[in-house]
Amino acid sequence: MDDFIISMKNVSMNYHTVDGETKAIDGVTFDVNQGELLGIVGPSGCGKSTILSLIAGLLKPSSGEIFLDGKVSYMLQKDYLLAWRTILQNALLGLEIQKKLTAENKKNVINMLMKYGLGDFLNHYPNQLSGGMRQRVALIRTLAVGPDILLLDEPFSALDYQTRLAIADEVWKIIKQEEKTALFVTHDISEAISMSDRILVLSKRPGRVIKIHKIITSGEQGPLNRRKAPEFRDYFNEIWKELDVHV
Amino acid sequence: MYEAELSKNISKEHEEYLKKVRQINISIRISQIIILIAFFGLWEIAGDLKWIDPFILSQPSRMWSTFIQLFRTGNLIYHIYVTMYETIIGFLLGTVLGTVIAVILWWSDYICRVLDPYLVVLNSLPKTALGPIFIVWMGNGQAAIITMALAISLIVTIISVLNGFKEVDDDEIKLLKTFGASRYQILQKVVFPSSIPTMVSALKINIGLSWVGVITGEFLVSKAGLGFLIVYGGQIFKLDMVMTSVLILSILAALMYIGVSYLEKYFLRWKLS
Ligand SMILES: Nc1ncnc2c1ncn2[C@@H]1O[C@H](COP(=O)(O)OP(=O)(O)OP(=O)(O)O)[C@@H](O)[C@H]1O
Ligand SMILES: [Mg+2]
Repeated sequence: MDDFIISMKNVSMNYHTVDGETKAIDGVTFDVNQGELLGIVGPSGCGKSTILSLIAGLLKPSSGEIFLDGKVSYMLQKDYLLAWRTILQNALLGLEIQKKLTAENKKNVINMLMKYGLGDFLNHYPNQLSGGMRQRVALIRTLAVGPDILLLDEPFSALDYQTRLAIADEVWKIIKQEEKTALFVTHDISEAISMSDRILVLSKRPGRVIKIHKIITSGEQGPLNRRKAPEFRDYFNEIWKELDVHV
Repeated sequence: MYEAELSKNISKEHEEYLKKVRQINISIRISQIIILIAFFGLWEIAGDLKWIDPFILSQPSRMWSTFIQLFRTGNLIYHIYVTMYETIIGFLLGTVLGTVIAVILWWSDYICRVLDPYLVVLNSLPKTALGPIFIVWMGNGQAAIITMALAISLIVTIISVLNGFKEVDDDEIKLLKTFGASRYQILQKVVFPSSIPTMVSALKINIGLSWVGVITGEFLVSKAGLGFLIVYGGQIFKLDMVMTSVLILSILAALMYIGVSYLEKYFLRWKLS
Protein backbone atom coordinates (compact mmCIF):
# COMPACT_ATOMS: atom_id res chain seq x y z
CA MET A 1 0.00 0.00 0.00
CA ASP A 2 2.93 2.24 -0.82
CA ASP A 3 1.24 5.56 -1.50
CA PHE A 4 -1.64 5.22 0.90
CA ILE A 5 -1.52 7.50 3.87
CA ILE A 6 -4.78 6.16 5.30
CA SER A 7 -6.17 2.71 4.73
CA MET A 8 -9.41 1.35 6.20
CA LYS A 9 -9.96 -2.38 5.81
CA ASN A 10 -13.40 -3.81 6.46
CA VAL A 11 -13.98 -1.57 9.46
CA SER A 12 -17.18 -1.89 11.50
CA MET A 13 -18.19 0.07 14.55
CA ASN A 14 -20.93 -0.63 17.06
CA TYR A 15 -21.88 1.75 19.86
CA HIS A 16 -23.00 0.17 23.10
CA THR A 17 -25.32 1.85 25.53
CA VAL A 18 -27.55 0.44 28.25
CA ASP A 19 -30.53 0.85 25.93
CA GLY A 20 -28.95 -1.28 23.24
CA GLU A 21 -26.47 -1.47 20.44
CA THR A 22 -26.17 0.84 17.44
CA LYS A 23 -24.42 -0.39 14.35
CA ALA A 24 -22.91 2.83 13.03
CA ILE A 25 -20.73 1.62 10.13
CA ASP A 26 -20.41 -1.77 8.56
CA GLY A 27 -17.49 -3.15 6.59
CA VAL A 28 -16.09 0.15 5.38
CA THR A 29 -13.04 -0.15 3.13
CA PHE A 30 -11.20 2.68 1.41
CA ASP A 31 -7.75 4.19 0.96
CA VAL A 32 -6.59 7.78 0.85
CA ASN A 33 -3.56 8.82 -1.17
CA GLN A 34 -0.86 11.21 -0.11
CA GLY A 35 -1.92 14.79 -0.84
CA GLU A 36 -5.48 13.85 -1.65
CA LEU A 37 -8.65 15.62 -0.55
CA LEU A 38 -11.32 13.02 0.05
CA GLY A 39 -14.92 14.13 0.57
CA ILE A 40 -17.36 11.97 2.53
CA VAL A 41 -21.10 12.38 1.95
CA GLY A 42 -23.98 10.39 3.33
CA PRO A 43 -27.33 10.75 5.06
CA SER A 44 -27.46 12.12 8.59
CA GLY A 45 -26.48 9.54 11.20
CA CYS A 46 -24.80 7.18 8.73
CA GLY A 47 -21.52 7.22 10.60
CA LYS A 48 -19.46 9.97 8.96
CA SER A 49 -18.24 11.49 12.23
CA THR A 50 -17.66 7.96 13.50
CA ILE A 51 -15.24 7.28 10.65
CA LEU A 52 -13.27 10.42 11.47
CA SER A 53 -13.19 9.59 15.19
CA LEU A 54 -11.92 6.10 14.35
CA ILE A 55 -9.12 7.48 12.21
CA ALA A 56 -8.25 10.04 14.89
CA GLY A 57 -7.99 7.20 17.40
CA LEU A 58 -10.73 8.55 19.66
CA LEU A 59 -12.66 5.31 19.13
CA LYS A 60 -11.55 1.72 18.69
CA PRO A 61 -13.22 -0.18 15.84
CA SER A 62 -15.36 -3.19 16.73
CA SER A 63 -13.69 -5.06 13.89
CA GLY A 64 -11.45 -4.37 10.91
CA GLU A 65 -8.16 -2.58 10.60
CA ILE A 66 -7.03 1.01 10.14
CA PHE A 67 -3.57 1.91 8.87
CA LEU A 68 -2.18 5.39 9.23
CA ASP A 69 1.03 6.81 7.91
CA GLY A 70 1.29 10.25 9.39
CA LYS A 71 0.21 12.58 12.12
CA VAL A 72 -3.50 13.32 12.32
CA SER A 73 -5.24 16.50 13.42
CA TYR A 74 -9.02 16.57 13.78
CA MET A 75 -11.30 19.57 13.39
CA LEU A 76 -14.61 18.83 15.05
CA GLN A 77 -18.09 19.51 13.71
CA LYS A 78 -18.22 22.86 15.53
CA ASP A 79 -15.41 25.33 16.16
CA TYR A 80 -15.37 24.92 19.98
CA LEU A 81 -13.16 27.88 20.72
CA LEU A 82 -12.68 28.07 24.46
CA ALA A 83 -14.46 31.20 25.62
CA TRP A 84 -11.94 32.17 28.31
CA ARG A 85 -8.96 32.04 26.00
CA THR A 86 -7.96 34.76 23.58
CA ILE A 87 -7.79 34.00 19.87
CA LEU A 88 -4.04 33.48 20.03
CA GLN A 89 -4.31 31.27 23.12
CA ASN A 90 -6.99 29.23 21.37
CA ALA A 91 -4.87 28.79 18.28
CA LEU A 92 -1.99 27.62 20.48
CA LEU A 93 -4.06 25.08 22.42
CA GLY A 94 -2.95 22.02 20.45
CA LEU A 95 0.72 22.97 20.65
CA GLU A 96 0.36 23.58 24.37
CA ILE A 97 -1.18 20.15 24.96
CA GLN A 98 1.42 18.40 22.87
CA LYS A 99 4.15 20.35 24.69
CA LYS A 100 5.48 21.84 21.47
CA LEU A 101 4.98 25.49 22.30
CA THR A 102 8.36 26.76 21.15
CA ALA A 103 8.98 30.37 20.20
CA GLU A 104 9.27 29.31 16.58
CA ASN A 105 5.96 27.44 16.56
CA LYS A 106 4.29 30.38 18.22
CA LYS A 107 5.64 32.72 15.59
CA ASN A 108 4.31 30.40 12.91
CA VAL A 109 0.83 30.48 14.40
CA ILE A 110 0.88 34.26 14.67
CA ASN A 111 1.96 34.47 11.04
CA MET A 112 -0.87 32.17 10.00
CA LEU A 113 -3.39 34.20 11.98
CA MET A 114 -2.16 37.38 10.31
CA LYS A 115 -2.16 35.79 6.90
CA TYR A 116 -5.79 34.76 7.26
CA GLY A 117 -7.06 38.13 8.39
CA LEU A 118 -7.00 37.67 12.16
CA GLY A 119 -3.95 39.80 12.91
CA ASP A 120 -5.97 42.49 14.68
CA PHE A 121 -7.77 40.00 16.87
CA LEU A 122 -4.97 38.07 18.55
CA ASN A 123 -5.95 39.31 22.00
CA HIS A 124 -9.70 39.31 21.48
CA TYR A 125 -12.00 36.69 22.95
CA PRO A 126 -14.00 34.33 20.73
CA ASN A 127 -17.36 35.98 21.46
CA GLN A 128 -16.07 39.10 19.69
CA LEU A 129 -15.58 37.26 16.39
CA SER A 130 -17.89 36.40 13.54
CA GLY A 131 -18.68 32.79 12.64
CA GLY A 132 -16.32 32.81 9.68
CA MET A 133 -13.45 34.17 11.73
CA ARG A 134 -14.01 31.58 14.45
CA GLN A 135 -13.94 28.83 11.87
CA ARG A 136 -10.62 30.10 10.58
CA VAL A 137 -9.17 30.15 14.09
CA ALA A 138 -10.31 26.55 14.56
CA LEU A 139 -8.66 25.57 11.30
CA ILE A 140 -5.41 27.30 12.24
CA ARG A 141 -5.51 25.57 15.63
CA THR A 142 -5.86 22.27 13.75
CA LEU A 143 -3.01 23.12 11.38
CA ALA A 144 -0.75 24.52 14.10
CA VAL A 145 0.34 21.12 15.41
CA GLY A 146 1.85 20.36 12.01
CA PRO A 147 -0.28 17.38 10.94
CA ASP A 148 0.14 15.38 7.74
CA ILE A 149 -3.52 14.45 7.69
CA LEU A 150 -6.45 16.76 8.37
CA LEU A 151 -9.83 15.42 9.40
CA LEU A 152 -12.52 18.04 8.90
CA ASP A 153 -16.04 17.36 10.12
CA GLU A 154 -18.52 19.64 8.35
CA PRO A 155 -16.08 22.49 8.68
CA PHE A 156 -18.40 25.06 7.15
CA SER A 157 -21.75 24.07 8.63
CA ALA A 158 -21.97 27.09 10.92
CA LEU A 159 -21.57 29.63 8.12
CA ASP A 160 -23.99 31.47 5.86
CA TYR A 161 -23.91 30.58 2.20
CA GLN A 162 -21.75 33.46 0.96
CA THR A 163 -19.12 33.05 3.66
CA ARG A 164 -19.25 29.33 3.18
CA LEU A 165 -18.26 29.57 -0.49
CA ALA A 166 -15.46 32.01 0.27
CA ILE A 167 -14.05 30.06 3.22
CA ALA A 168 -14.29 26.76 1.33
CA ASP A 169 -12.20 28.29 -1.42
CA GLU A 170 -9.70 29.58 1.11
CA VAL A 171 -9.46 26.31 3.01
CA TRP A 172 -8.95 24.40 -0.23
CA LYS A 173 -6.06 26.69 -1.09
CA ILE A 174 -4.55 26.33 2.38
CA ILE A 175 -4.71 22.54 2.21
CA LYS A 176 -3.23 22.39 -1.26
CA GLN A 177 -0.57 25.00 -0.49
CA GLU A 178 0.56 23.25 2.66
CA GLU A 179 0.41 19.93 0.83
CA LYS A 180 -1.77 18.21 3.39
CA THR A 181 -3.92 15.15 2.99
CA ALA A 182 -7.48 15.80 4.07
CA LEU A 183 -10.71 13.93 4.75
CA PHE A 184 -13.70 16.13 4.97
CA VAL A 185 -17.30 15.36 5.79
CA THR A 186 -20.18 17.38 4.42
CA HIS A 187 -23.93 17.22 3.91
CA ASP A 188 -23.65 19.39 0.88
CA ILE A 189 -23.16 17.48 -2.37
CA SER A 190 -22.12 20.61 -4.28
CA GLU A 191 -19.54 21.45 -1.68
CA ALA A 192 -18.14 17.93 -1.83
CA ILE A 193 -17.82 18.04 -5.62
CA SER A 194 -16.30 21.50 -5.60
CA MET A 195 -13.54 20.60 -3.14
CA SER A 196 -12.75 16.89 -3.41
CA ASP A 197 -10.35 14.87 -5.50
CA ARG A 198 -12.49 11.86 -4.71
CA ILE A 199 -15.86 11.47 -3.01
CA LEU A 200 -16.89 8.59 -0.80
CA VAL A 201 -20.67 8.04 -0.80
CA LEU A 202 -22.06 6.25 2.25
CA SER A 203 -25.40 4.45 2.60
CA LYS A 204 -27.93 5.01 5.35
CA ARG A 205 -27.02 3.65 8.79
CA PRO A 206 -25.23 1.35 9.18
CA GLY A 207 -22.93 3.18 6.79
CA ARG A 208 -21.50 1.16 3.92
CA VAL A 209 -19.49 2.48 1.00
CA ILE A 210 -21.84 2.81 -1.97
CA LYS A 211 -19.34 4.23 -4.38
CA ILE A 212 -16.14 6.22 -4.62
CA HIS A 213 -16.18 8.89 -7.34
CA LYS A 214 -13.05 10.33 -8.83
CA ILE A 215 -13.84 13.96 -9.58
CA ILE A 216 -12.19 15.38 -12.66
CA THR A 217 -13.30 18.69 -14.07
CA SER A 218 -12.06 20.65 -17.02
CA GLY A 219 -10.88 24.24 -16.71
CA GLU A 220 -9.32 25.92 -13.75
CA GLN A 221 -9.31 24.12 -10.40
CA GLY A 222 -10.45 25.34 -6.99
CA PRO A 223 -13.93 25.20 -5.45
CA LEU A 224 -15.35 28.37 -7.00
CA ASN A 225 -14.11 27.52 -10.51
CA ARG A 226 -15.27 23.97 -10.24
CA ARG A 227 -18.84 24.99 -9.61
CA LYS A 228 -18.86 26.47 -13.10
CA ALA A 229 -17.37 23.38 -14.76
CA PRO A 230 -19.60 21.50 -17.23
CA GLU A 231 -19.11 18.16 -15.44
CA PHE A 232 -20.39 19.56 -12.15
CA ARG A 233 -24.07 18.82 -12.85
CA ASP A 234 -23.45 15.23 -13.90
CA TYR A 235 -21.58 14.43 -10.72
CA PHE A 236 -24.28 16.13 -8.73
CA ASN A 237 -27.10 14.14 -10.32
CA GLU A 238 -25.27 10.87 -9.95
CA ILE A 239 -24.50 11.34 -6.26
CA TRP A 240 -27.98 12.68 -5.62
CA LYS A 241 -29.46 9.46 -7.03
CA GLU A 242 -27.10 7.30 -4.97
CA LEU A 243 -28.06 9.07 -1.79
CA ASP A 244 -31.68 8.34 -2.68
CA VAL A 245 -33.07 11.30 -0.81
CA HIS A 246 -36.77 11.05 -0.05
CA VAL A 247 -38.60 14.15 1.01
CA MET B 1 -13.26 46.54 19.24
CA TYR B 2 -16.58 48.15 18.31
CA GLU B 3 -16.75 49.89 21.67
CA ALA B 4 -13.25 51.19 21.22
CA GLU B 5 -14.19 52.65 17.87
CA LEU B 6 -17.29 54.24 19.33
CA SER B 7 -15.61 55.86 22.28
CA LYS B 8 -13.21 57.74 20.05
CA ASN B 9 -15.90 59.88 18.50
CA ILE B 10 -19.02 59.72 20.62
CA SER B 11 -22.18 60.93 18.94
CA LYS B 12 -24.56 63.34 20.68
CA GLU B 13 -27.15 60.62 20.97
CA HIS B 14 -24.71 58.19 22.58
CA GLU B 15 -23.60 60.89 25.00
CA GLU B 16 -27.21 61.43 26.05
CA TYR B 17 -27.61 57.71 26.55
CA LEU B 18 -24.51 57.42 28.71
CA LYS B 19 -25.63 60.39 30.75
CA LYS B 20 -29.00 58.74 31.39
CA VAL B 21 -27.33 55.51 32.48
CA ARG B 22 -25.12 57.43 34.87
CA GLN B 23 -28.06 59.38 36.29
CA ILE B 24 -30.01 56.21 37.02
CA ASN B 25 -26.99 54.66 38.73
CA ILE B 26 -26.55 57.73 40.92
CA SER B 27 -30.20 57.86 41.86
CA ILE B 28 -30.18 54.19 42.83
CA ARG B 29 -27.19 54.79 45.09
CA ILE B 30 -28.89 57.81 46.68
CA SER B 31 -32.04 55.81 47.35
CA GLN B 32 -30.01 53.08 49.02
CA ILE B 33 -28.32 55.61 51.30
CA ILE B 34 -31.64 57.26 52.13
CA ILE B 35 -33.12 53.92 53.20
CA LEU B 36 -30.13 53.29 55.45
CA ILE B 37 -30.31 56.72 57.09
CA ALA B 38 -34.08 56.57 57.42
CA PHE B 39 -33.91 53.14 59.04
CA PHE B 40 -31.41 54.16 61.70
CA GLY B 41 -32.94 57.62 62.09
CA LEU B 42 -36.39 56.18 62.66
CA TRP B 43 -35.02 53.61 65.05
CA GLU B 44 -33.34 56.37 67.07
CA ILE B 45 -36.44 58.56 67.14
CA ALA B 46 -38.71 55.64 67.98
CA GLY B 47 -36.51 54.90 70.95
CA ASP B 48 -36.40 58.53 72.11
CA LEU B 49 -40.17 58.89 71.87
CA LYS B 50 -40.70 55.56 73.66
CA TRP B 51 -42.54 54.02 70.70
CA ILE B 52 -40.30 51.06 71.29
CA ASP B 53 -38.45 49.90 74.39
CA PRO B 54 -34.73 50.60 73.88
CA PHE B 55 -33.92 48.05 76.56
CA ILE B 56 -35.25 45.25 74.35
CA LEU B 57 -34.70 46.67 70.89
CA SER B 58 -31.67 48.85 71.58
CA GLN B 59 -31.05 52.10 69.70
CA PRO B 60 -28.36 53.37 67.31
CA SER B 61 -26.95 55.88 69.80
CA ARG B 62 -26.79 53.22 72.51
CA MET B 63 -25.16 50.84 70.06
CA TRP B 64 -22.58 53.45 69.23
CA SER B 65 -21.67 54.04 72.87
CA THR B 66 -21.58 50.28 73.45
CA PHE B 67 -19.29 50.03 70.48
CA ILE B 68 -16.94 52.65 71.91
CA GLN B 69 -17.06 51.04 75.32
CA LEU B 70 -16.41 47.55 73.97
CA PHE B 71 -13.63 48.95 71.88
CA ARG B 72 -11.97 50.57 74.88
CA THR B 73 -12.49 48.03 77.60
CA GLY B 74 -13.99 44.90 76.11
CA ASN B 75 -11.33 43.71 73.70
CA LEU B 76 -13.63 44.24 70.72
CA ILE B 77 -10.76 44.05 68.27
CA TYR B 78 -9.76 40.75 69.77
CA HIS B 79 -13.26 39.30 69.40
CA ILE B 80 -13.50 40.51 65.82
CA TYR B 81 -10.10 39.04 65.09
CA VAL B 82 -11.06 35.67 66.56
CA THR B 83 -14.26 35.44 64.55
CA MET B 84 -12.62 36.62 61.33
CA TYR B 85 -9.77 34.20 61.79
CA GLU B 86 -12.07 31.25 62.35
CA THR B 87 -14.29 32.22 59.44
CA ILE B 88 -11.46 32.69 56.97
CA ILE B 89 -9.76 29.45 57.98
CA GLY B 90 -13.07 27.58 57.81
CA PHE B 91 -13.86 29.18 54.47
CA LEU B 92 -10.47 28.40 52.94
CA LEU B 93 -10.46 24.86 54.28
CA GLY B 94 -13.99 24.24 53.03
CA THR B 95 -13.17 25.63 49.60
CA VAL B 96 -9.84 23.89 49.11
CA LEU B 97 -10.86 20.55 50.61
CA GLY B 98 -14.21 20.62 48.83
CA THR B 99 -12.56 21.34 45.50
CA VAL B 100 -9.94 18.64 45.99
CA ILE B 101 -12.60 16.06 46.83
CA ALA B 102 -14.67 17.22 43.84
CA VAL B 103 -11.62 16.69 41.60
CA ILE B 104 -11.20 13.16 42.95
CA LEU B 105 -14.86 12.38 42.33
CA TRP B 106 -14.63 13.84 38.82
CA TRP B 107 -11.51 11.80 38.13
CA SER B 108 -13.08 8.51 39.08
CA ASP B 109 -16.67 8.08 38.04
CA TYR B 110 -16.64 4.82 39.98
CA ILE B 111 -15.80 6.43 43.33
CA CYS B 112 -18.28 9.17 42.56
CA ARG B 113 -21.11 6.72 42.07
CA VAL B 114 -20.14 4.69 45.12
CA LEU B 115 -20.15 7.77 47.35
CA ASP B 116 -23.20 9.44 45.85
CA PRO B 117 -25.80 8.24 48.43
CA TYR B 118 -23.50 9.20 51.30
CA LEU B 119 -23.10 12.69 49.94
CA VAL B 120 -26.86 13.03 49.63
CA VAL B 121 -27.42 11.96 53.23
CA LEU B 122 -24.60 14.15 54.59
CA ASN B 123 -25.92 17.07 52.60
CA SER B 124 -29.39 16.87 54.09
CA LEU B 125 -28.12 16.33 57.64
CA PRO B 126 -28.35 19.54 59.73
CA LYS B 127 -24.68 19.91 60.54
CA THR B 128 -25.27 22.05 63.65
CA ALA B 129 -26.47 18.84 65.29
CA LEU B 130 -22.87 17.68 65.19
CA GLY B 131 -21.63 20.64 67.25
CA PRO B 132 -21.57 18.89 70.65
CA ILE B 133 -19.80 15.92 69.08
CA PHE B 134 -17.05 18.16 67.69
CA ILE B 135 -16.59 19.73 71.10
CA VAL B 136 -16.17 16.33 72.70
CA TRP B 137 -13.73 15.24 70.04
CA MET B 138 -11.69 18.37 69.70
CA GLY B 139 -12.08 20.09 72.98
CA ASN B 140 -13.92 23.27 73.84
CA GLY B 141 -11.94 25.59 71.58
CA GLN B 142 -11.21 27.00 68.18
CA ALA B 143 -10.63 23.61 66.56
CA ALA B 144 -14.23 22.65 67.22
CA ILE B 145 -15.50 25.98 65.86
CA ILE B 146 -13.49 25.72 62.66
CA THR B 147 -14.60 22.12 62.22
CA MET B 148 -18.18 23.30 62.57
CA ALA B 149 -17.67 25.89 59.81
CA LEU B 150 -15.98 23.26 57.68
CA ALA B 151 -18.73 20.72 58.22
CA ILE B 152 -21.37 23.18 57.13
CA SER B 153 -19.62 24.33 53.95
CA LEU B 154 -17.76 21.22 52.82
CA ILE B 155 -20.51 19.02 51.40
CA VAL B 156 -22.19 21.92 49.61
CA THR B 157 -18.86 22.85 48.06
CA ILE B 158 -18.21 19.31 46.89
CA ILE B 159 -21.63 18.99 45.33
CA SER B 160 -21.72 22.35 43.60
CA VAL B 161 -18.15 22.21 42.30
CA LEU B 162 -18.65 18.66 41.07
CA ASN B 163 -21.83 19.71 39.29
CA GLY B 164 -19.86 22.51 37.67
CA PHE B 165 -17.26 19.98 36.51
CA LYS B 166 -19.91 17.70 35.09
CA GLU B 167 -21.64 20.48 33.18
CA VAL B 168 -18.53 21.06 31.09
CA ASP B 169 -19.31 20.56 27.43
CA ASP B 170 -18.37 17.01 26.41
CA ASP B 171 -17.33 18.28 23.02
CA GLU B 172 -14.80 20.68 24.52
CA ILE B 173 -13.29 17.68 26.26
CA LYS B 174 -13.37 15.81 22.96
CA LEU B 175 -11.56 18.74 21.35
CA LEU B 176 -8.72 18.31 23.83
CA LYS B 177 -8.67 14.57 23.21
CA THR B 178 -8.20 15.21 19.49
CA PHE B 179 -4.88 16.74 20.46
CA GLY B 180 -4.09 13.75 22.65
CA ALA B 181 -4.59 15.49 25.99
CA SER B 182 -4.13 13.55 29.23
CA ARG B 183 -6.82 13.53 31.89
CA TYR B 184 -4.80 15.98 33.92
CA GLN B 185 -4.54 18.35 30.94
CA ILE B 186 -8.28 18.09 30.39
CA LEU B 187 -8.80 19.08 34.01
CA GLN B 188 -6.31 21.92 33.81
CA LYS B 189 -7.21 23.40 30.42
CA VAL B 190 -10.96 22.89 30.14
CA VAL B 191 -12.73 21.54 33.19
CA PHE B 192 -11.23 23.93 35.71
CA PRO B 193 -11.40 27.17 33.75
CA SER B 194 -14.87 26.54 32.43
CA SER B 195 -16.22 25.81 35.90
CA ILE B 196 -14.81 28.96 37.44
CA PRO B 197 -18.22 30.67 37.31
CA THR B 198 -19.75 27.79 39.29
CA MET B 199 -16.84 27.77 41.68
CA VAL B 200 -17.14 31.49 42.32
CA SER B 201 -20.82 31.17 43.12
CA ALA B 202 -19.93 28.25 45.39
CA LEU B 203 -17.45 30.56 47.14
CA LYS B 204 -20.15 33.14 47.66
CA ILE B 205 -22.45 30.59 49.25
CA ASN B 206 -19.52 29.27 51.27
CA ILE B 207 -18.79 32.58 52.88
CA GLY B 208 -22.32 32.75 54.23
CA LEU B 209 -22.12 29.16 55.43
CA SER B 210 -18.76 29.68 57.12
CA TRP B 211 -20.22 32.58 59.09
CA VAL B 212 -23.13 30.39 60.13
CA GLY B 213 -20.74 27.63 61.21
CA VAL B 214 -18.44 29.94 63.15
CA ILE B 215 -21.19 31.81 64.97
CA THR B 216 -22.96 28.56 65.87
CA GLY B 217 -19.64 27.18 67.06
CA GLU B 218 -18.97 30.26 69.18
CA PHE B 219 -22.44 29.97 70.68
CA LEU B 220 -21.59 26.46 71.81
CA VAL B 221 -17.99 27.00 72.84
CA SER B 222 -18.64 30.44 74.39
CA LYS B 223 -15.12 31.66 74.90
CA ALA B 224 -14.41 34.48 72.49
CA GLY B 225 -15.56 36.07 69.26
CA LEU B 226 -18.62 37.96 68.10
CA GLY B 227 -20.77 34.85 68.57
CA PHE B 228 -19.64 34.75 72.18
CA LEU B 229 -20.46 38.46 72.64
CA ILE B 230 -23.93 37.83 71.26
CA VAL B 231 -24.64 34.90 73.58
CA TYR B 232 -23.04 36.64 76.53
CA GLY B 233 -24.96 39.88 75.88
CA GLY B 234 -28.19 37.89 75.71
CA GLN B 235 -27.48 36.12 78.99
CA ILE B 236 -26.84 39.34 80.91
CA PHE B 237 -29.72 41.13 79.12
CA LYS B 238 -27.45 43.64 77.45
CA LEU B 239 -29.30 43.84 74.14
CA ASP B 240 -27.11 46.78 73.12
CA MET B 241 -24.14 44.46 73.09
CA VAL B 242 -26.07 41.87 71.07
CA MET B 243 -27.26 44.36 68.48
CA THR B 244 -23.85 45.99 68.17
CA SER B 245 -22.22 42.62 67.58
CA VAL B 246 -24.83 41.65 65.02
CA LEU B 247 -24.28 44.92 63.19
CA ILE B 248 -20.51 44.46 63.15
CA LEU B 249 -21.05 40.93 61.95
CA SER B 250 -23.19 42.02 59.02
CA ILE B 251 -20.65 44.65 58.01
CA LEU B 252 -17.82 42.10 58.09
CA ALA B 253 -19.83 39.55 56.13
CA ALA B 254 -20.67 42.18 53.53
CA LEU B 255 -17.01 43.19 53.19
CA MET B 256 -15.94 39.61 52.65
CA TYR B 257 -18.67 39.11 50.08
CA ILE B 258 -17.52 42.21 48.22
CA GLY B 259 -13.99 40.83 48.24
CA VAL B 260 -15.14 37.67 46.52
CA SER B 261 -17.15 39.70 44.02
CA TYR B 262 -13.95 41.46 43.02
CA LEU B 263 -12.28 38.10 42.54
CA GLU B 264 -15.22 37.07 40.39
CA LYS B 265 -14.82 40.13 38.18
CA TYR B 266 -11.14 39.38 37.79
CA PHE B 267 -11.64 35.75 36.84
CA LEU B 268 -14.58 36.36 34.53
CA ARG B 269 -13.15 39.28 32.62
CA TRP B 270 -13.45 37.32 29.38
CA LYS B 271 -17.21 37.29 29.85
CA LEU B 272 -17.46 41.04 30.22
CA SER B 273 -15.50 42.12 27.21
N1 LIG C 1 -21.42 7.93 21.60
C1 LIG C 1 -22.42 7.30 20.96
N2 LIG C 1 -23.16 6.36 21.60
C2 LIG C 1 -24.17 5.72 20.98
N3 LIG C 1 -24.52 5.91 19.70
C3 LIG C 1 -23.83 6.83 18.99
C4 LIG C 1 -22.75 7.56 19.59
N4 LIG C 1 -22.25 8.39 18.66
C5 LIG C 1 -22.97 8.20 17.55
N5 LIG C 1 -23.92 7.24 17.73
C6 LIG C 1 -24.87 6.75 16.73
O1 LIG C 1 -24.14 6.26 15.63
C7 LIG C 1 -24.70 6.67 14.40
C8 LIG C 1 -23.66 7.40 13.56
O2 LIG C 1 -23.29 8.59 14.22
P1 LIG C 1 -22.37 9.68 13.53
O3 LIG C 1 -22.26 10.83 14.48
O4 LIG C 1 -21.12 9.05 13.09
O5 LIG C 1 -23.24 10.10 12.27
P2 LIG C 1 -22.98 11.25 11.20
O6 LIG C 1 -23.03 10.62 9.87
O7 LIG C 1 -21.78 12.03 11.54
O8 LIG C 1 -24.28 12.14 11.40
P3 LIG C 1 -24.48 13.70 11.12
O9 LIG C 1 -24.48 13.86 9.66
O10 LIG C 1 -25.81 13.99 11.72
O11 LIG C 1 -23.36 14.41 11.80
C9 LIG C 1 -25.89 7.54 14.74
O12 LIG C 1 -27.06 6.78 14.55
C10 LIG C 1 -25.72 7.88 16.19
O13 LIG C 1 -26.97 7.90 16.84
MG1 LIG D 1 -21.45 14.05 12.18
